[in-house]
Amino acid sequence: MKPTVVKIDNLVKRYGELVALDHFSLEIKEGEIFGLLGPNGSGKTTTINCLLSLLTFDKGDIEVFGQEMTPTSYDLKSEIGVIMQNVAVLDELTVRENIDYFCGLYVTDKAKRKALVEEAIRFVGLEDFVNFRPGKLSGGLLRRLNIACGIAHKPKLIILDEPTVAVDPQSRNKILEGIQELNRQGATVIYTSHYMEEVEQICTRIAIMDKGRKIAEGTKDELKGMIRNSETVSIEILELPEEAKEKISHLPHVYETEYDGEKLTVRCSGGRHNLIRILGVLQEAELGFGRVYSELPTLNDVFLEITGTALRDAKE
Amino acid sequence: MFWHNLKYEIKTVMREKDFILWMLLFPIILGTLFKVAFGSIYENAETFHTIPVAVVETKENEVFAGMLTAMTEGEEPALSATVTDDGEARKLLFDGDVYGILYVGDTVELSVTGKGMQQTILQEIVARCSVYETVIRDAIAENPAAVSDAVKALSAEVDVCRKNASEAGNPDVYVQYFYNLIAMVAICGCMTGLHVSTNSQANQSTLGARRNCSATPKSIHLVTGVLGSAVSQTCSMVVCVTFLRFVLRVNFGGSLFLLYLSAILSGFLGVTMGFFVGSIGRMRYEVKEAISMSVSMVLCFLSGLMVGNMKGIIAEHMPWINRVNPVAIMSDSFYCLNMYSDYRRFMTKIVGMLIYIVAFTVIGVLFARRKKYASI
Repeated sequence: MKPTVVKIDNLVKRYGELVALDHFSLEIKEGEIFGLLGPNGSGKTTTINCLLSLLTFDKGDIEVFGQEMTPTSYDLKSEIGVIMQNVAVLDELTVRENIDYFCGLYVTDKAKRKALVEEAIRFVGLEDFVNFRPGKLSGGLLRRLNIACGIAHKPKLIILDEPTVAVDPQSRNKILEGIQELNRQGATVIYTSHYMEEVEQICTRIAIMDKGRKIAEGTKDELKGMIRNSETVSIEILELPEEAKEKISHLPHVYETEYDGEKLTVRCSGGRHNLIRILGVLQEAELGFGRVYSELPTLNDVFLEITGTALRDAKE
Repeated sequence: MFWHNLKYEIKTVMREKDFILWMLLFPIILGTLFKVAFGSIYENAETFHTIPVAVVETKENEVFAGMLTAMTEGEEPALSATVTDDGEARKLLFDGDVYGILYVGDTVELSVTGKGMQQTILQEIVARCSVYETVIRDAIAENPAAVSDAVKALSAEVDVCRKNASEAGNPDVYVQYFYNLIAMVAICGCMTGLHVSTNSQANQSTLGARRNCSATPKSIHLVTGVLGSAVSQTCSMVVCVTFLRFVLRVNFGGSLFLLYLSAILSGFLGVTMGFFVGSIGRMRYEVKEAISMSVSMVLCFLSGLMVGNMKGIIAEHMPWINRVNPVAIMSDSFYCLNMYSDYRRFMTKIVGMLIYIVAFTVIGVLFARRKKYASI
């Protein structure tokens, strides 16, 4: 069994009357890309700040690499790389100087640091911009610089707090690929985001948060397995007699049927040939139809079913 | 880690546009403007020059003749007299070649066409002459033996003031503006000190949060931050003083080494004041910046940067403000250095600055050393 890298036990953090973290627990194993998914204000960043010992908390324990995390745990901190939600670089330094500066907060050996800085520059693809100041970089390049500053010292645990906010698709892909590459090189990653597609794409295990509580945890398949919905079939159809709709709702594994006059939505739980069976009913009734979609459940469906609110619509 | 941090702290501050503008260019520009505005006022209006005067004798007056001889002799005589007739004297007066006409008879009368320091001096001379003449005439009439004693008594200088050992410094009152300019540059260092504090605290900036997550102890961030700012501030103080002293040729008198020392310490005081303001309270950076700027400007105003005689007004009504105002202490240190050969007063100013530096640093560190925050 792989060793535990991060253990958060029963964490409670209050801001006056507001409970930001409500008995939150978590265990992250070595080599994982662990996703913390939740809407804005769900407590993801608060969790990270408590984990990094920046924030005081009311109750609970936090261990990193098996040791209690405190503000003076410099040995532990040297193994952690942090990429904050907001870009935190020095505007007066060039790209190379910025990476060298932040790397130097962890690595004192000059020669070793030089090699690490060059490697980080290559890793984030900023070779052509080494002498640029941050103000001259685009939003995507700036995010890449932010990441390079956090990972240049080759930490064993990398914490990325919403690193792709306001980033163009090209840079976003580059960042996500980079995170997977860092993980392949041996780093454990904690990735917070409110973009479920990203979390689904790169995370090996996910915890879904809402209002300071962990509402679900597992691999993406495990999470999807927690909910009733396994497939949603949507068919564009201009006319649907009540008899046909009734027939569809009585098909095996169908648990919900909706028709809004233009589109038929059928939600199924389990089963392997739901689409064929539904189309069979429509053909039998000699009904014409347009485009047909079959969608597997997303983490948004998981969030929706557990909280009753869509992840995208959750109150910020 | 220490040197690595210090290197980048200095680099960062020295490349800040605000630093270049306010710390390096602004004093050069303002100093030049001061020089243009005040540079020749003192020389023209307040430095004593020999006063040209026309003398028209209507009757022989021995007493005045003796006084006139005394006042027109020597390396830099008080008067330069042209003895002439009334018509020529009037022409000289109206042409502006002389400041007044002395009509010498039994009494001495003065005729001038304007007001000013020279005319006032001439009036004073005539008044004195009249007193001398009366005293000597009375002495001759009543007791001729006492004439020599009377002359001695009149010639003796009566000193009712206590003398302080004074440096052969620059007596130009307008040099005060340059002292205040140096002090203002120093106090502007509070902005770099403020940056040090906010950039080291997780609840003040993202950069502070990132630094707090690093393997470098917070004390190193704070110490190198203050030192880096102080080094940068020192550069700006040296540039400022050098420009004023050697380019604009402002005569500060005193020892050049002590002048630089005082300027550098003043800069350090400015930085630590900003660090102190940045460390206290949980206000946003913008609020702290506004507080620092406002406090600096008020202190500069009270020290006389905007209104030249403000320090005098305060000394008259609320002297304790001058004793506690860091900017007044800074500018006073330059004044003492210029005016007093004895360094006692200068040293009290230096000690005052050191007390402020230590107090601001210690209190700032006590507040900024907080390791965890209740909210970010």
